[in-house]
Amino acid sequence: MNLKQHHGQRLSSCAKGMQTSSLHDKTGTLPRQLVRNPQVNDPDAEVIALSPKTLLATNRFVCEICNKGFQRDQNLQLHRRGHNLPWKLRQRSSKEVKKRVYVCPEPSCVHHDPSRALGDLTGIKKHFCRKHGEKKWKCDKCSKKYAVQSDWKAHSKICGTREYKCDCGTLFSRRDSFITHRAFCDALAEESARAQTHPQPQNQNQAVANPSSESDPKVQAVDSSAPPAPAPTPAPAPASAPVQVSASAPAPAAPTLPQSTSVISSSVLPIRSSELPENPTPIVEEAPVPAPAPAGLNGSCSTSTSSGSNGGSRSSVFASLFASSTASTSLQPPQPPAFTDLIRAMGRPDRPADLAPSTSTEPISLCLSTNHGSSIFGTAGQERRQYAPPPQPAMSATALLQKAAQMGAAATNASLLRGFGIVSSSSSSEQQDSLQWGQRQVEPENASVPAGLGLGLPCDGSSGLKELMMGTPVFGPKQTTLDFLGLGMAAGGSPNGGLSALITSIGGGLDVAAAAAASFGGGDFTGKDIGRSS
Amino acid sequence: MMQFTETPPQPLHQITPFSIPTMNKNQIHRARPWPGFPTSKGLGSFGDANCMEQLLVHCANAIESNDATLAQQILWVLNNIAPPDGDSNQRLTCAFLRALIVRAAKSGTCKMLAAMANAHCNLSIDIHTFSVIELASFVDLTPWHRFGFTAANAAILEAVEGYSVIHIVDLSLTHCMQIPTLIDAIANRLEGPPLLKLTVAGGATEDIPPMLDLSYEELGSKLVNFARSRNVMLEFRVVASTYADGFSSLIEQLRVQHLVYAESGEALVINCHMMLHYIPEETLSPLPNANSNLYSFEPSSTSSFRTMFLKALRGLDPTVVVLVDEDADLTSNNLVCRLRSAFNYLWIPYDTVDTFLPQGSKQRQWYEADICWKIENVIAHEGLQRVDRLEPKSRWVQRMRNANFRGLSFGEDAVSEVKTMLDEHAAGWGFKKEEDDLVLTWKGHNVVFATAWVPA
Repeated sequence: MNLKQHHGQRLSSCAKGMQTSSLHDKTGTLPRQLVRNPQVNDPDAEVIALSPKTLLATNRFVCEICNKGFQRDQNLQLHRRGHNLPWKLRQRSSKEVKKRVYVCPEPSCVHHDPSRALGDLTGIKKHFCRKHGEKKWKCDKCSKKYAVQSDWKAHSKICGTREYKCDCGTLFSRRDSFITHRAFCDALAEESARAQTHPQPQNQNQAVANPSSESDPKVQAVDSSAPPAPAPTPAPAPASAPVQVSASAPAPAAPTLPQSTSVISSSVLPIRSSELPENPTPIVEEAPVPAPAPAGLNGSCSTSTSSGSNGGSRSSVFASLFASSTASTSLQPPQPPAFTDLIRAMGRPDRPADLAPSTSTEPISLCLSTNHGSSIFGTAGQERRQYAPPPQPAMSATALLQKAAQMGAAATNASLLRGFGIVSSSSSSEQQDSLQWGQRQVEPENASVPAGLGLGLPCDGSSGLKELMMGTPVFGPKQTTLDFLGLGMAAGGSPNGGLSALITSIGGGLDVAAAAAASFGGGDFTGKDIGRSS
Repeated sequence: MMQFTETPPQPLHQITPFSIPTMNKNQIHRARPWPGFPTSKGLGSFGDANCMEQLLVHCANAIESNDATLAQQILWVLNNIAPPDGDSNQRLTCAFLRALIVRAAKSGTCKMLAAMANAHCNLSIDIHTFSVIELASFVDLTPWHRFGFTAANAAILEAVEGYSVIHIVDLSLTHCMQIPTLIDAIANRLEGPPLLKLTVAGGATEDIPPMLDLSYEELGSKLVNFARSRNVMLEFRVVASTYADGFSSLIEQLRVQHLVYAESGEALVINCHMMLHYIPEETLSPLPNANSNLYSFEPSSTSSFRTMFLKALRGLDPTVVVLVDEDADLTSNNLVCRLRSAFNYLWIPYDTVDTFLPQGSKQRQWYEADICWKIENVIAHEGLQRVDRLEPKSRWVQRMRNANFRGLSFGEDAVSEVKTMLDEHAAGWGFKKEEDDLVLTWKGHNVVFATAWVPA
């Protein structure tokens, strides 16, 4: 190790595989290890491995006079001039201008390898924070967390402006979350139901119109604004073949396939008719397409409408397979909003009026909400966090044991421990009758302090009992008291020695105090002790 | 087992470590499972998870040996050191404590506990029944399920490339919560949306949390509706089937259907998300009765419903099988082994919860109650009632290979999707690639594995 002028130490060993801990300098000087690695893009570049602490230190270069910290040594040197201290600025000779690259201190990180080192210190610092650091900057609006403050700031500026919003008002910052919610949210069902309740005659012919052919301009605009969802809408209405055509066309020409696709549409259609029995046009698809239906669509329509009853044309296997599905999908329960819409729609079959913009029912499927700060957002944020004040906790084990105590003990012996049959000291003979496990009837004189300690017996004072219940040591440190159970915690004691001693002492009905005392001795009791005490 | 009341004083040499007979049968105590876990060198505090585990083991031994006195004493200590509202280790221990009390009460040997349990039904866990929206946001809180969803969706998408009809059999504990994102991904694929068929096992997990307040028929109609909005034709089907017999009726349905559609070029995707470990395996023996065995296999000592299910699955010649499950071994018939194994795995959900749910929140109670249910099932129950029979990844890999499946490696897409997903969660989450498989980790410890398989 030879000290370089820039507070560093140079190592000639390879940084690869080095443990982070080894980067800490015990001498207290700033640890910086320089490693030369031929794999780096620039073979002359110095590979610098900093410990996490050093890396994250904000002002590593501290003035010994005024304790002011600086991020760069150069700045410190300039500062030292003010104190009239010796200072030294690095000379910028051509040789000194050596490229430096920095590796990540995290050994499992790809950037720990010198060949994947990063070119600047700030970069590796941010990388380390982002990937291996605690995310302590939390967005108040969406709870997203960031490890780097600047990331958090950047997010805070745009948070709420780029989020997914469901029609129900719930906001999502992640697309996956939004998709899953959207699929199950009633808002989608309501919208579909509403779309179905437009008994426009010209829509009848579009029974199985491709959903993508929805020409509601609002929907399209919204869809196109959704970033990751390229609208798979194929073509304008005349060419928009029904789905089954596109589905069956590429399939290997199995004779059953066309049938199967028609069945699929039938499995969808009965939902409508059963759900909305009053609907005069049960096969109206959700698309409120004003365009007249092309002839091609008429054909497909007839296929699908008949498919509901053309079970006879299917193979029997097929019928049995999908009978259940047809039945099951038609089980969708009537949804009050749908009916409301239906009634409204039937009362005013004026479709444009029905489609009047309404923030809550806007058919937005992938909306990038931009009206940040509106009242909708405020309530949505509240709705999303459904955290309620804690209800009463489940019955604690303490309570359980107390119940046990009450049941097991006589009415006069309400003590928890007595109920367990653990307490026997200072109890009268009548009380002992109530004990379930009364083998250990300790003589009154044995109810000494150590005995009470060992088994938690100090029942002559309710305060002492309480303290024990709370786990507070009555006499001496808690560990000493509790280690009577011999859990291998006693220093120098064998792991189960104490426990065995306890068991033995109980079994023999011997003087508990002796065993307890023995156990307090650090497990160095002997069989002789126990034998004597019995 | 010792009857302590009649045992004469022990000579010293028997009062040594592991002098209790049952202790000898137990596994050798393993080192602390995770870094930063306080060790008990010297005098550790009782809050030490190591110590809590030992206490639980002692307690389990006492209960198993009918030593009510000792059991109660340890329960008492545990009760004092493990409040239900304590830190994560304490809550974990409390859940085990509760499960042990249930076990003791069930066994009837500890009279007091039995009487208590009979008089007070508060040992029962308040399992929340989720609305579908609640469940969607609940599952979304943590990578526990999302990891499998993400990895599986990527693997499925890759495997069904070019197919115009895709049949997905979703065997998932989470009630189709994975499907919307899968539909969305499929809808956006370059070659255009296929025809989707979705088959689920109805009633398979109605007694296992998370519970849903919606019937699968209603759930299915929502999915159909959603798929339509994404320009995908979806056909949804529920087949009543149960894990208890290895989904035999579902397999039978699929087999019949397979005869019709196999040549038509339909992709068959079997998505198994934390479901298969409920199928009885070899430690649950013997097979309940020969009549319920709908497979044409002879029940033998080496065969189990789990084995037969995988063989039957192989018989369907699926396009891809994705198997996601929790990476732990909870199958041992030895209570103490199981307790240790569960304790050294289920600390993870308790440890993670602080990163995504505030203390006292309702969702946190639901979350922890579901873990409690699992712990109780593993600890308090035996035989057919003990349904949570997790197996580690290595054993599942062996099973799949024995069933003549070949491992499929997760592609770059899957890896980057998982990485992106994990970035949305707390820093302790990570994942690693083990051979072909992906493993979700928490602070470096395996949590959930994801594997993909094709017929060999």
